[in-house]
Amino acid sequence: MSEVKGAYNVCIIGGGITGTALAYSLCNLGETSVAVFEKSYLSSGSTGRCGGGIRQQWSTKNNVRLAMRSVELFEHFKEDVGTDIEYYQGGYLMLSYDEEEAKQFEKNVEIQREEGLDVEILTPKQVSERYPYINTEDLVLATFCQKDGHANPHKAVIGYAQAARRMGARIYTHTEVLGIDVQNGKVVGVDTNQGYFKCDAVVNASGPWSKQVSQLVGVDLPTESYRHQIFVTEPLENFFPMMAISFAGNFYMRQAQHGQFIMGQGDKDEKPGINYNVTFKFEKELTVKMVKLFPFLRNLRIMRHWSGMYNMSPDAQPIIGQSNIVNNYFYAVGYSGHGFMVAPAVTEALAELIVLGKTTHTDISYLNVDRFANAEVEKEKNVV
Amino acid sequence: MVDNQAGGKRHVDAIVIGAGPAGLCGAIAIAESIGDGTKVLVVDEGIEPGGQLPKQTHKFFGHEGFYASVRGFEIGKRLVDKARELGINFLMQTTLAGIYEDSIVAYDRNSNSVSEYTADYILIATGASERFLLFKNNTLPGVYGAGAVQTLMNQYKVMPGKSFLIIGAGNIGLIVAYQLLQAGAKVKAIVEATSKIGGYMVHANKIMRLGIPILLNHTIISALGEDRVEGAIIAQVDGKFKPIPGTEKEIAVDTICLAVGLQPSVELVAQTGAEIKYISELGGYVPVRDENMKTTVNNVYVAGDLSGIEEASTAMIEGYIAGYNIAQKITGKDMSEKITNMKNELVEFRKGPFAAKVREGLKKMGISFPGGGYREEIQQMPSSLSRLKAVIECPQAIPCNPCETSCPTGAINTGGNINGVPQVDYEKCTGCGICVTKCPGLAIFLVQQREEHSIVGIPYEFLPVPEKGSSVKLLDKNGKYVADGQIDRVMINRKEKTHIAFLKVPKGMEGVVRHFEMSTVSEESQAYICRCEEVSRNDVEKLIDSGITDYEEIRRVLRIGMGPCGGKTCRSVVLQIISEKTGVPISESRLGAFRPPVIPLPIDAIVRYAKGVGTDE
Amino acid sequence: MGRLVEHPILDVKSSTSKTHVVFYFEGQPICALPSDTIASALIANGIDIFGFTEHNHARGFFCAIGKCSSCLVEVDGIPNVRSCITPVRDGINVRRQEGRGKPKW
Ligand SMILES: Cc1cc2nc3c(=O)[nH]c(=O)nc-3n(C[C@H](O)[C@H](O)[C@H](O)COP(=O)(O)OP(=O)(O)OC[C@H]3O[C@@H](n4cnc5c(N)ncnc54)[C@H](O)[C@@H]3O)c2cc1C
Ligand SMILES: Cc1cc2nc3c(=O)[nH]c(=O)nc-3n(C[C@H](O)[C@H](O)[C@H](O)COP(=O)(O)OP(=O)(O)OC[C@H]3O[C@@H](n4cnc5c(N)ncnc54)[C@H](O)[C@@H]3O)c2cc1C
Ligand code: SF4
Ligand code: SF4
Ligand code: FES
Repeated sequence: MSEVKGAYNVCIIGGGITGTALAYSLCNLGETSVAVFEKSYLSSGSTGRCGGGIRQQWSTKNNVRLAMRSVELFEHFKEDVGTDIEYYQGGYLMLSYDEEEAKQFEKNVEIQREEGLDVEILTPKQVSERYPYINTEDLVLATFCQKDGHANPHKAVIGYAQAARRMGARIYTHTEVLGIDVQNGKVVGVDTNQGYFKCDAVVNASGPWSKQVSQLVGVDLPTESYRHQIFVTEPLENFFPMMAISFAGNFYMRQAQHGQFIMGQGDKDEKPGINYNVTFKFEKELTVKMVKLFPFLRNLRIMRHWSGMYNMSPDAQPIIGQSNIVNNYFYAVGYSGHGFMVAPAVTEALAELIVLGKTTHTDISYLNVDRFANAEVEKEKNVV
Repeated sequence: MVDNQAGGKRHVDAIVIGAGPAGLCGAIAIAESIGDGTKVLVVDEGIEPGGQLPKQTHKFFGHEGFYASVRGFEIGKRLVDKARELGINFLMQTTLAGIYEDSIVAYDRNSNSVSEYTADYILIATGASERFLLFKNNTLPGVYGAGAVQTLMNQYKVMPGKSFLIIGAGNIGLIVAYQLLQAGAKVKAIVEATSKIGGYMVHANKIMRLGIPILLNHTIISALGEDRVEGAIIAQVDGKFKPIPGTEKEIAVDTICLAVGLQPSVELVAQTGAEIKYISELGGYVPVRDENMKTTVNNVYVAGDLSGIEEASTAMIEGYIAGYNIAQKITGKDMSEKITNMKNELVEFRKGPFAAKVREGLKKMGISFPGGGYREEIQQMPSSLSRLKAVIECPQAIPCNPCETSCPTGAINTGGNINGVPQVDYEKCTGCGICVTKCPGLAIFLVQQREEHSIVGIPYEFLPVPEKGSSVKLLDKNGKYVADGQIDRVMINRKEKTHIAFLKVPKGMEGVVRHFEMSTVSEESQAYICRCEEVSRNDVEKLIDSGITDYEEIRRVLRIGMGPCGGKTCRSVVLQIISEKTGVPISESRLGAFRPPVIPLPIDAIVRYAKGVGTDE
Repeated sequence: MGRLVEHPILDVKSSTSKTHVVFYFEGQPICALPSDTIASALIANGIDIFGFTEHNHARGFFCAIGKCSSCLVEVDGIPNVRSCITPVRDGINVRRQEGRGKPKW
């Protein structure tokens, strides 16, 4: 074991949106003896590579609630956290090119409306009137929620980190957790490449590395990481306010505040494992598809292309909670590609769980890993 | 030719990226050795092959085996002819846009099309890109990079301005100044922040004797003008490069030309996964490679300025070394003799004082080159020269010897190593003047003491060529007027274009007169770091003060390097500021990511390619 | 500013070439050589302000080899074109780009 460098009540592993938002949420509850360990730079994991989309149009009641709470927190981000994160409620336009999926969308909208979410159902004609630059050929229907939107993920991480620092948390970048010291079924410290830190609780917020980090505690998590690629074009004047997304069509796209178009798609052939390379195949497939649906893209150029990891769970929903094997071990992982948008609500609830022993704002018990012990899992359908 | 079949990947034995001296020699070595040029593909984004060479109108240093004393553009032509004879394919005006996991992608901007390749070996010789400098209004039209000025002037034959201020007195700044003067522009001054001229003295002398001031310990504070450059404010700097208040001076110019150094273009090598390391002596981030020019990725080789900022001659040698090694692997033939020969050439070239940095840098990669073993004494001009004789004013040990090899009587020697300071054997010299026209430094003069006056022969590469008998003002080595004189005669050299103007000078002035003039004719914190997003130095410093010191973090918050240029101008500047503010040397700071494509790829070109519908036109 | 018509080393015959390409800059006809890029043709004709940034700062070229994106212009309504590496073509309409490009659909 290396030299003892410090002691904290809570040690968080991972400096992405989860780790930094959690540090902030803990400090907000008065728990300021918090350390975040990030093996690279802040937001070097999935967060800094993600699309930044924030939506509430989900297919289950719980997920809609969680997302709605997150949006409430995003709406107050500037006042609460003190940073402008380019949060913009331009809406999410969910496009369906498949009859069966369209029916499911209508059902989802019912659930969403029951939760008090204002969602419109649009015909192809309405879509093309509103958005003359979208080709609506083959479109069956679309749903639209104005209160959905997007933000700059990196600024969110830096905002949370700076706020947490101000309130007393310590953030160690370029510090990798190499071991977690478990004695008598309890975590007592973490070992890093910068020394050993004692702690009373540890949180796994390591995104793509969730499985490996959990193994350091001796707890198995059913997560796997898959590469997702994404690229951004040269900027244009802003005219495309919403995130456009399609599950059957397998894409999402938005225009960033600085004018560039950011877009991505999933690849069923991807093998699990960390891989930050990019393929030209991705550019070919996505451009062909997108130019057909959004012809104006033809005149743009691809500026940067990168990839990040989706940390997937078996039911494509996050795994959040407290371990019942090692009691003071918590986790917030397996977001399956939508961890940025739910992070504010998730970390608020998790901080409550850690400090108060129970959640007060949002119920997250349905996201506990124990759900996989039951044979039946309800898979979230609304994911790219 | 490689036919650009839409949709399909093409395979070649070796792909060479960059058609500068390094890439060309690498391609030639491979093609010669495998006996089939069609298996080698050279990709370059320039308008013509040759890299830096077609932009250079001056004669290059080195030795004749590597085209010393030949003008840059002419060297380029010769190498390209050789490559074409071997059947090597060129894709010009084509950017190698990315080395992806599944493909090597090229973008041809003329036909606006993309194509995909696979290759057994990749030789990356992408050279270097120019560094940027921070001063107020540094993005005004009229502030141009030295390379841009050269491209425009020497390739497109268009002058971007009339009167120039040049920033930086390294070889590039000195040469650009000389080239501008040749093209008829005015050069008001060269400012240099350090206390010494970084380039070769012979280059500096060429422009000093034309009266161009080189202001050491000076920097530019601001460009002046509303919508374009109308002038500049310069000031003296102290030992820490901070401007000294009260020393500001305004200079009226219409163009400011930045020649503040080069940095290796490592984007593509980085994309292959090869290890990159910061070695300041080699120019910044460079690929780690062995003495055979192989990177840490088995089939990826590098050569030339990309592997360390140096010279065309060493770029060629490195190209050959990389090429022979690749050929050896392709053919299975033993090429060690040729490789060893080239390595020995490198050893000779790198012995001199100007290669000390390169030697230091390479040591950090575990490659060692010996220094020293050359002559340094400077020969004094003899006190009496009744017959016309060569006088050499080449005071530094530089890797160059055309003077020695061109002299028909063997009167000049550099003392055994190419870096040695040349000396004349006055017994042997016949005053023929061949060395004067060959010397790339224009550092050799012809001198004769006559009864009534003396004669000084001066290498001359300007227009108009003076007429015999015309009277001129005589200038000393700093361009200061010393006396009136007369053109005795002019030796015209149509082929080499270095003429010799013989001047009648007053007796006793043969060691003083070095040029002539024809009598008849005659605020930093607002500096932009990132051109695309208009981010200032202030913005970066504020962020660093708030505790955000990681390049990648800063980049994402301020969007530096996220504009259309992809960080080509600003990355090194930001790293420099981080290093200044945090005290952590750049070599220990973390290198950000290099994401493809290296040039924005038109979506419609990709779509057409993916659908297999061919090109635009 | 303008074309080199004589040079002690370089061959500048092309400057007096009779074949021309005519394109439009801000509506004005510009005479160019077939070997010109948009940027070289503009500079040869004394035009060095190629556009204005979002903050209304004038921009011209800087690197001349397609690396810095300082020289963006609009060609036939398509923005973000690097004038320094884009060959001239007969009849194209080139405009100064002001801020970010306008979409075309
Ligand atoms: C292409 C793409 C697009 C996406 N689009 C969206 C979107 O539009 N909306 C949305 O909500 N979500 C999106 N996501 C998903 C989202 O990015 C993630 O769910 C979210 O960022 C997860 O945040 P995190 O903090 O949990 O993990 P991360 O951001 O991955 O952070 C984990 C951190 O832990 C660190 N770490 C790991 N192991 C260790 C260790 N042993 N010691 C120290 N540190 C360690 C890592 O370096 C990393 O920085 C997208 C993802 C991708 C890849
Ligand atoms: C003003 C000046 C004067 C000089 N004088 C001398 C001298 O007198 N003697 C001497 O020995 N040396 C001299 N040099 C140095 C010499 O020119 C360089 O060291 C030499 O050119 C380096 O060769 P290279 O092949 O490595 O790179 P370069 O010549 O720079 O060639 C690199 C090539 O790669 C291409 N390229 C880069 N990226 C891509 C991409 N993604 N896709 C396609 N193509 C790409 C570029 O277009 C370029 O053509 C001078 C340099 C300058 C600038
Ligand atoms: S002038 Fe002629 S003989 Fe004398 S050193 Fe030069 S080349 Fe040799
Ligand atoms: S005198 Fe000789 S060594 Fe010096 S620059 Fe001229 S040719 Fe080169
Ligand atoms: S001037 Fe740099 S990209 Fe055109």
